[in-house]
Amino acid sequence: MSASFLIARHEWRRLAAQPFAWLLAAIVVALMAWQFLLALEAFLELAPKLGSLKDAPGVTDIVAIPLLRSFSNLLMLLVPLITMRAIASERRAHSLVLLLAAGVGNVRVVLGKYFGALAFVMVLILLIAAMPLALAFGTSLDVGRLAAALIGLVMFAAALTAIGILCSAWTAQPALAAAAAFAITSLLAIVDAGARLKGVDSSGINYIALPTHIEPFFRGLVSSIDIVYFVIVAVVALAFAAKRLDRLRSEAD
Amino acid sequence: MTASPVLALASVSRDLAGRRVVRDVDLVLARGEVLGLLGVNGAGKSTTLRMIAGVLAPSVGRVLVDGEDLAEAPGLARREIGYLPEVPPLHIELSVTEFLAFCARLHGLAGEAEAAVARAIDRCGLGDVRRRLIGALSKGFRQRVGLAQAILHEPSLIVLDEPASGLDPVQALNLRELVRSLGADHAVVLSTHVLPDVVACCDRVAILHEGALRYEGRLADPAGAGIFVRTSKSIDAGDWLELPIVADATPAAAGGTAWRLRLRDGATTSMLAAAIVERAFGLEELRAGNAALEETFMEIAAGSATAVAA
Repeated sequence: MSASFLIARHEWRRLAAQPFAWLLAAIVVALMAWQFLLALEAFLELAPKLGSLKDAPGVTDIVAIPLLRSFSNLLMLLVPLITMRAIASERRAHSLVLLLAAGVGNVRVVLGKYFGALAFVMVLILLIAAMPLALAFGTSLDVGRLAAALIGLVMFAAALTAIGILCSAWTAQPALAAAAAFAITSLLAIVDAGARLKGVDSSGINYIALPTHIEPFFRGLVSSIDIVYFVIVAVVALAFAAKRLDRLRSEAD
Repeated sequence: MTASPVLALASVSRDLAGRRVVRDVDLVLARGEVLGLLGVNGAGKSTTLRMIAGVLAPSVGRVLVDGEDLAEAPGLARREIGYLPEVPPLHIELSVTEFLAFCARLHGLAGEAEAAVARAIDRCGLGDVRRRLIGALSKGFRQRVGLAQAILHEPSLIVLDEPASGLDPVQALNLRELVRSLGADHAVVLSTHVLPDVVACCDRVAILHEGALRYEGRLADPAGAGIFVRTSKSIDAGDWLELPIVADATPAAAGGTAWRLRLRDGATTSMLAAAIVERAFGLEELRAGNAALEETFMEIAAGSATAVAA
């Protein structure tokens, strides 16, 4: 795994060396902070009225979870922009051969690229999670529910990053890779919309859809079936990416 | 030739998109030798080099590096092969030192990475630009960074695909000197279109045409490479073969005034010149050994030569 770790660290450094990644991070943090402050203000206005209710929703329900849910939607756009250059830009610059000629196997190259990009996504998740977690200094949070939501977010991001890496391996155009990754994740997000409209929520098509598996985490439920779903999506996407890399060997120059 | 060559290609063929682009290539290269791989565009040079570098596996045959099959020991490529492709593989958003440090670790140098990077920077003349971003460097410097990544782990085998492309004449001259010096203690395979580069840098030459090895010989050996002679008088093959030092004579042009000669063992170019003058053939041009390479290359490239693989 040392070659994968080396590539992951290098990938992180390459991402960090570009203003684009930091600009993207700054915009996302600013956007989420704005949403967080608005939700917090709304909660402060509501708090006196909520005090009189039995089982009233707390700050976790009104501020933290909606913020993380909203961030999960943003990740569908954000992750493709982070992963789009991972392999596609190497193909454009003819630099993929550097890794291939160093005796690094396809799977290790893909894993290195994957974990490098995922590390950047994780930093963004940490930055956004820090906002609701900061409330722990002034109020009591539902830590269990918040932890479940964060686990869900991490699993969700892990699957999206793998889809992004796959698309980046498929084309030499980073913009096309981002568009393809966005299209695939969007499709996975809405694939069961029709079924749900008809009241079907436990068929095979529901199982394929992303919201079916991320929503339980936001409700505080960590179930193995949802974790397995995200792991399967990630593994399948990365396996196809490695397969694609095998084909690229004959074209690499 | 040593008992255990650094590189050996055994009946190597490769198919790409259903077409056989390299067929039955056999090559052997020892440490201390520089092999020039010549061929027109599409001759199969880059595919052959990719197989030698371990990027591409042969469809048929084996590539042996230090006696081990490259397909079965991918770690070999990491340690023992340095490869500079036609377009240098660079990460332009990093500085020269950062990039080379990554390459050093990629090739398995951990503790000694810093020293290896410093050595490669020094050897390739990158000292003044070591902290600059690769994206801000000129083409010549980028080529040198590419070369530095290929040599920094001191591999047994160095594979260079058209390293002189895009270099100005001064840089190209420096590159020749560098390749020559690398050839002293590494095995080097150099692919190029530039024949003078081959003559200046290489010990041996191999010419690929339409995927097949059409010629292989030592450059320093005039008997192997042939000698081109032009005379004012029309001479026939019998006249040449009367000279005891001439082993073989083939016409290089119609009219009997241009010939390619092969000398017998022990005969030298100056002995031939003396013999021609003595017989009063009217010597006009004599290109010894390496100069005849161009003729051989042009004939093979034009498709008129028969297979002359030695």
